[in-house]
Amino acid sequence: MVAPSATLSVLNRADGSASYQCPSTGSNILGSVNAPVELPGRRDALKPEDATIEVFVKPGTAPAGVGERYVEGILKTLLGRVILGREKGYPRRGVVITLAIIGGESVGRGDPYLILLPALLHTALLALLSASVPLSMTFSATVLAVDESGQILREPSAEDAATAQSVHVLAFSSKGHLLLNESQGSFDFDTWDKVRQRASAICHGTQLVSADGDVAMAEDVDGRPLEGTLRETVEDQVYRDYNWKINAA
Amino acid sequence: MTDRRRINGPPSGTRPAVFASSLKSASGDATERPRRHRQPNELRKIFLKTGLIPSASGSAYLEYEPSASLAAARSSPQSLIPPSSALKLACTVHGPKPLPRSATFSPNLVLTTHVKYAPFAARQRKGHIRDASERDLGVHLETALRGVIVAERWPKSGLEITITILEAEDDRWWGDAPDSHDAPWGMMNVLAGCITAASAAIADARIDCLDLVAGGVAAIVSDDAVAEEGSSSTPKLMLDTDPAEHKSILSACVVAYMPARDEITEIWLKGDHSKASLGVDDSSLGHEALIDGAINAARGAHTVLVEAVLESAERYAGLSSSDS
Amino acid sequence: MASSAPPPALTLPPSQFARLQPHAYLLAHLSPPASSNQPSLRANGRQPAQFRPTSANTGSLTHTNGSAVVRVGDTTAVCGVRAELLPTSDIASWSVSHASSGAHKRATTTKNDADADADESHIQDLNLLVPNLSLSTGCAPGFVPGAPPSALAQSLSHQILGLLHSTRLVRAEDLRVWYQVPSFGGDGDMDVDAEEDEGRKKKNDGKEIKAFWVLYIDIMIISLAGNAFDAAWAAVLAALRDTRLPRAWWDADNEMVVCSEAVAEATRLSLRGLPIASSFCVFEADAAAGWRAVIVPDAEEEKKIEEDQRRGMQRRWILADPDGYEEGLSQERVCLVVDREMGKTVIVKMEKNGGWAVDGRELKQLVDTAAERWESLKLILEQC
Repeated sequence: MVAPSATLSVLNRADGSASYQCPSTGSNILGSVNAPVELPGRRDALKPEDATIEVFVKPGTAPAGVGERYVEGILKTLLGRVILGREKGYPRRGVVITLAIIGGESVGRGDPYLILLPALLHTALLALLSASVPLSMTFSATVLAVDESGQILREPSAEDAATAQSVHVLAFSSKGHLLLNESQGSFDFDTWDKVRQRASAICHGTQLVSADGDVAMAEDVDGRPLEGTLRETVEDQVYRDYNWKINAA
Repeated sequence: MTDRRRINGPPSGTRPAVFASSLKSASGDATERPRRHRQPNELRKIFLKTGLIPSASGSAYLEYEPSASLAAARSSPQSLIPPSSALKLACTVHGPKPLPRSATFSPNLVLTTHVKYAPFAARQRKGHIRDASERDLGVHLETALRGVIVAERWPKSGLEITITILEAEDDRWWGDAPDSHDAPWGMMNVLAGCITAASAAIADARIDCLDLVAGGVAAIVSDDAVAEEGSSSTPKLMLDTDPAEHKSILSACVVAYMPARDEITEIWLKGDHSKASLGVDDSSLGHEALIDGAINAARGAHTVLVEAVLESAERYAGLSSSDS
Repeated sequence: MASSAPPPALTLPPSQFARLQPHAYLLAHLSPPASSNQPSLRANGRQPAQFRPTSANTGSLTHTNGSAVVRVGDTTAVCGVRAELLPTSDIASWSVSHASSGAHKRATTTKNDADADADESHIQDLNLLVPNLSLSTGCAPGFVPGAPPSALAQSLSHQILGLLHSTRLVRAEDLRVWYQVPSFGGDGDMDVDAEEDEGRKKKNDGKEIKAFWVLYIDIMIISLAGNAFDAAWAAVLAALRDTRLPRAWWDADNEMVVCSEAVAEATRLSLRGLPIASSFCVFEADAAAGWRAVIVPDAEEEKKIEEDQRRGMQRRWILADPDGYEEGLSQERVCLVVDREMGKTVIVKMEKNGGWAVDGRELKQLVDTAAERWESLKLILEQC
């Protein structure tokens, strides 16, 4: 399994940005975050004690349509729960997240964004981290397809997803909660339960909690847990940014 | 042009179904034009109910009784082509509410009316964006209502009236070619229905009015049997005409009428009956007669309106007593 | 109701309390003081897992091929299905794509459901299903009439389209207008395509598709009081069950597709299954407790919540079929679409988002609730 690769702070003028390469779909997602910003002309719509989150998804080739509105809604609900919009400086202001999909196959009419959803979520998370937006937790997401024989396929390609019996996107918080589930196709609950276990293993690894509460991330068939990959990306960036300080010390 | 905010159909567009019977209509009519079974001064029954939409300050739903031909077609369906249709519309009133910040100061209640056909309301599929006729209806409705509402009571406020037409009246019988005497006659019936329903919804929203305004339609039609012979037709005045039931409507009139004050707030007269009235005694079928006919139709609608408003008031009284 | 009253010094009627302190109002209803001996009910008087009374009525709109009005509590959805024709000559890439799909068919003849695959691709590739939902009907304050569809309306339309595609509810075969090509014998002078044509004709016994029916499925939400999706989907389902397509054939003389107006010849759509949607929301007791702090329960905290629950101190409620008031007070949503085949519950779509209260165990219960809802709504849809 090729791990996704990501770079932080690729854009100079945005408060935070991230570029994310998704190996399964071949698309590259560029995300930018501006926060906190004033949202002019919408004084009546702003919540008095919370930040207003806006998400824009721009597909690579076609102009944004109805499907993008839908996926924006999904991202907005999830991020709304993760971003601490009540922190100082955020209420009555906006957190604007823009995600551009570069390359890869375009998503057809009426097709759900399921196979791209984890990549979009990860990009949004990395861009938010890069913009230093206060978050209550981080998360990691994955997409799984179940084919007719009941085999679970990790990060299916567009064709695999089209022929699969069901496609599932799951996102887990850093504390192990199921944050998001989007399942489509026909399946029964036992299948979903298996999918959930596998997804949890992909995101967190098979967790071995040692006596002192440290969580060791074991590697297994699924390779490195996604959460570790994301964490490392951020750590690398921090090292690079504080290189002068670390070297001086 | 594709609409990015909606789901679009095939890019090349689609065609409405063509029925075999309409292709060979030249050889002879297979189906007959629906006939009017009512007396000339008999109105269709109106179903009017208020308060069906609780999230609005006031609401009303209006439905006309299906004509005899349509009722027959419903009970024992033979043809997929409906002989005529019956008006169905829902009206909501939101407000009075503060005007948006960007709006200029107004000492009166600002009335906005909005009439939209559902895409499936008419024989031809309607677009999602309001067309000229829908805007026209909105303007007519606004004039009809503006004279009724006591607007000085709510300065700096807005009142939004939205009407969704689920089923509209036909402009002509479907078998007729769109030719002479052609005008959107169905729109006039729709407007009368809009006025009556909006009046009920405004009363349901407890907005102060001078009177309950009601809409009515009358038309001068030439009897088709005579007209086909080519001799001078004997035009008749009919109340609450269903355009599908008449071969040619010479002129029609819709009024918004306040019975208690005997005032008209809106009048819309269309068509030319000057030639028709020549045949009979002078002014017996002049404009006056047409307007009087429309007023009589409005009086009929008013009785239904009073009942609906009474019901709304009873519900409100019941609510407020249980509240406290 | 009176048990939830504010301090006696300032008495407010319940309706005003509900407006001023919505969260506390609903919480007071759901967790009445133990002394009052009142059951835990929602502010609207329903049990947490109780759906609103639902009614459906079909076929009342004259100018549609199929129509339905569905009322779920105070939410009303009207759906009208209009069928129009798409001649294959109007499809730009028809000759190419049809030939290739024929080739594809031949390649996969070993597979039994190759037809089903081709089915779906026609509906999806040619945009034969066009659902659009409109909220700008004055259904609730806040939706400006005449404005372009709001983000909510757009994503609801998209959800309905996605569900129509993924459930494969409508069969493409119902939408095809076939033409039996009369055999003239002398096909020899055909050029390069001849071979491919021949192959296709052999396969289809000289039949070719002349046109497709395109179903315009328009949903008007007339009244909105929460949970628009369930009502809209039920209306779509009822309208499609009511839809009758006229018999259509290719008239070679006029070179067009003509239809028969006889009702007896019209056919109903044969739908695949009966997927029914049920939505839920999660109301949390502590959401507004900390004004700024957001407490994310970790494993220990979760254990505590569970323990509290066992001791009868509930802190989370999963509310079925939320009304507008409850939707405004909760962030986490669950939407389940289930079907039942031979006594087995098949999940067609399962969505949860916006929180962490619902996990495997809760979802399992909700699937059972949704299956019960399926039974009751099935009866309603079959009676109308």
